Amino acid sequence: MPTFKLDGKPVPFEPGETIIHAAWRQGHDIPHYCWHPGLSAPANCRMCLVEILPKPGQRPLNLDVLEWDAKLGDYKAVQKPKLQPSCYIAAADGMEVLADGSEHVRKARHDVQEFLLLNHPVDCPICDQSGECKLQDYWLEYGRYQKRMHDEPVHKPKGVVFGPTIVYDAERCVMCTRCIRFMDEVAKDPVLDMRERGNLNEIFVAPGRQLEGHYTFMTEHVCPVGALTTQDFRFKARVWFLRTANAVCQGCATGCNAHLDYDPRYNKAYRYRPRDNEKVNKFWMCDEGMLTYKEAHDDRVLEARVGSAESPVARALDEARTIFGGVSAGSIAIVLSAQHSLEDNWALREFGTVLLGTENLYLTGKPDGYEDTILIHRDKNPNTRGVKELAPSAKPFRSLLDDVASGRITHVVALGGAAPTDAAGLRPAKVVVIAAHEGPLTELARVVLPATSWAEQGGTYVNAKGLAQASEKALEALGSSKPAWTLVADLAIALGLEVPWTKLKQIRARLVPASEGSITSGATASGAAIGQGSAE
Amino acid sequence: MEPLDEVEEGELELPAEPMHLNMGPSHPATHGTVRIVLELSGETILKSDVQVGYLHRGFEKMCERGTWAQVFPYVDRLNYVSPMLNNVGYALAVEKMCGLVVPDRCQWYRMALGELARISDHLTCDGAMAMELGAFTPFLWFIKAREMVWDILEEETGARMTHSFGRIGGMASPPTPDFKAQCRAALPTIVELVEEGEKMLLKNRIFLDRLENVAPISGKDATHLGWTGPCLRAAGVAYDIRKSHPYLKYDEVDFDVPVGTNGDTLDRFLVRLAEIRQSRRIIEQSLDRMADDGPVNCDDPRVLLPNKLDVYTTIEATIQHFKLIMEGAKVPKGECYSYTEGGNGELGYYIVSDGSGTPYRIRIRPPCFQIVGGLSKLLEGRMLSDIVPTFGSLNMIGGECDH
Repeated sequence: MPTFKLDGKPVPFEPGETIIHAAWRQGHDIPHYCWHPGLSAPANCRMCLVEILPKPGQRPLNLDVLEWDAKLGDYKAVQKPKLQPSCYIAAADGMEVLADGSEHVRKARHDVQEFLLLNHPVDCPICDQSGECKLQDYWLEYGRYQKRMHDEPVHKPKGVVFGPTIVYDAERCVMCTRCIRFMDEVAKDPVLDMRERGNLNEIFVAPGRQLEGHYTFMTEHVCPVGALTTQDFRFKARVWFLRTANAVCQGCATGCNAHLDYDPRYNKAYRYRPRDNEKVNKFWMCDEGMLTYKEAHDDRVLEARVGSAESPVARALDEARTIFGGVSAGSIAIVLSAQHSLEDNWALREFGTVLLGTENLYLTGKPDGYEDTILIHRDKNPNTRGVKELAPSAKPFRSLLDDVASGRITHVVALGGAAPTDAAGLRPAKVVVIAAHEGPLTELARVVLPATSWAEQGGTYVNAKGLAQASEKALEALGSSKPAWTLVADLAIALGLEVPWTKLKQIRARLVPASEGSITSGATASGAAIGQGSAE
Repeated sequence: MEPLDEVEEGELELPAEPMHLNMGPSHPATHGTVRIVLELSGETILKSDVQVGYLHRGFEKMCERGTWAQVFPYVDRLNYVSPMLNNVGYALAVEKMCGLVVPDRCQWYRMALGELARISDHLTCDGAMAMELGAFTPFLWFIKAREMVWDILEEETGARMTHSFGRIGGMASPPTPDFKAQCRAALPTIVELVEEGEKMLLKNRIFLDRLENVAPISGKDATHLGWTGPCLRAAGVAYDIRKSHPYLKYDEVDFDVPVGTNGDTLDRFLVRLAEIRQSRRIIEQSLDRMADDGPVNCDDPRVLLPNKLDVYTTIEATIQHFKLIMEGAKVPKGECYSYTEGGNGELGYYIVSDGSGTPYRIRIRPPCFQIVGGLSKLLEGRMLSDIVPTFGSLNMIGGECDH
């Protein structure tokens, strides 16, 4: 692989790759605002300027400039190298690039920073970006000057509503055009553009349109400053109080990698941010997915129920024992859930097939929905493929309704509250549900046990492409909820069965051989990756 | 109980078994919470077990929670009689990590304030020691002198004791216009008061008898125990960090290191008094050489807060303020040990940074921890009444000892 030198250190690159991209892949971040690895490069912020040394024997590319000489009290003519935007210049073999090592580059960054902050409002205390803002980071790293301009700054529109999800503040905007390029290049809906020139420059929405669709949240996420904010997160939390967990989005079978940001003081999730994964979602997430963080709190089953009355978990387990007393294994149905992790489903499958000795496995989950060609998958369950590989014999939910109607099935143990169709047909059966969220199944269940959601318990999910990905725990368990696999064990013990696994580690160790070669057929090469980290 | 005079002389018997006696942890003569378990034969101490830790607050752990700048209030509470020395010592440690050197004016200012704190430390120790032996008047005179020191410190910092006045890269504010005049007015009076108290004590047979040749320690033993500061110098070892490893501008001022001869309690008392006079010399020279204007703080926005008015009106200063308050000044990754002469001896900070705005580890070497470690050795074979002057002369400060 050809290499170039960045501040004396060799950086390998693919032919045609830009300097900043190759450096970024190596973990050297050349400061930038407008460049984004997933978007085209307009080279308009000038923050990523670098000095490219001339080849030996070649004349350097210099500019004649006037420099103030304090001793002389006058300007004097000097030469300075012409700096190049590293987001636009393709790397060449043997090229010598100076970034941090060049005083001209450092001066350029300093001056670019001064220009960008010239008319910037004193908004940090009320700005949602504060704490994760590139203007703040780069000022401390490369600026470190105090204001020299003492005129009234240019005022521009604030609080412009771009659409149902996004609010724009023109004064904070650095005109990097990332949002414009995102809508154009990724969302394929070129609804944003810029108008006016110089310091009157601002972003606007095409006349007669709103910023809407399935990918508006990403415009806020690509914004390097606080110009675009989402209605959802605006003024809700200060980012330095948030902690983050590497989660997997539960919105559909794509399994986008996400940062789940939560405040440990209130045990509350506040937002999703996309987590880069070249193999799954690249840098992006859809609006619906970004909002699924709310499911950590909304529509939750937090207490056990018998019938419609809340009751302690022990009491609910007693009720389950009464229900299942003397029932033959052949008339019990085990309903796995594509909404739950592999670990939960594995525990329930073991409970059914090994401990109870029934072969009646079924699969439930949410019904299909909207899909597109960018990220959104038709299947709205995060783990359909994983459960199908875990229990290939599992029959669809429809046949469960048929079997109940025919009287073959009289008792049901189900995971998850969701059902792909109307579940009223289950009413003749006696149903025990272990669920994190309310749904058609919890409505008609005789006993409901409260399970933790993906946010409160790490788990493994297999996306539509067959990639097994681990999602990390963020919150502490809400209400009386417990991980579903422990509730399965509790249920088995209540029914007088002996449970050979008591720890998550044991389940994960058994999960690997059972699914080797299939579940991990995606990007992860070995089964060991399951449950031990994301698939990056 | 029957009255003693009715008992025949020959019937009185002292118990043959050694008596166990608890002194402290809350005892009027142990300034600080410390417990000494004594094994007595009559009034002779056979064995003593000194137990520290009653004032342990886990402050080293607390330091790992906030920013580097938020450690200053904690170090105030180490040796709370001379908090300024702790502040300056910590500031120097972090500055060593950051590669910062504060302007000359600040260095002189830090020296003057630090020596004032040392005077207050020594006055308190010697005054309290005299009081515990029944000499209440010299105590009042010494405390009167200490009040004058604290008045100056209050004028400069706004607080009498816990100043939190140090900053990474400087001080919280420049010297007040009256600082020099106040010091020059107060110092002669302070020394006069010291002399007066000294005359009263050193001509008092009872006082001398209770100090002279009580709990002596050789210079070798003291060194082996890790002693530093006045207690070590009283044993004849002229080790003073200000002379041996000068920091700030101590190499540019003229002062002597007073030493004792036989390391007994009287020597420890006298060395402290002599050091008050040396501190006066250092302060006077510092005041002479400290410029009346010029910068006190380094001009480095990475560690120092901007002007408050600019924070409200310009985005650059807002960002600087935000970064320093919310994330803290970033100290380069690495570790260092930095040590200064505290009131009781070598005050060392061993700090480790992971490059973030929060300390990874701060380990403090408080001088009196090692010194108190030698107490039970000093007490062995002494009389019960020797505990009070001996303990007093070691100047144990629970705040820094227990960590």
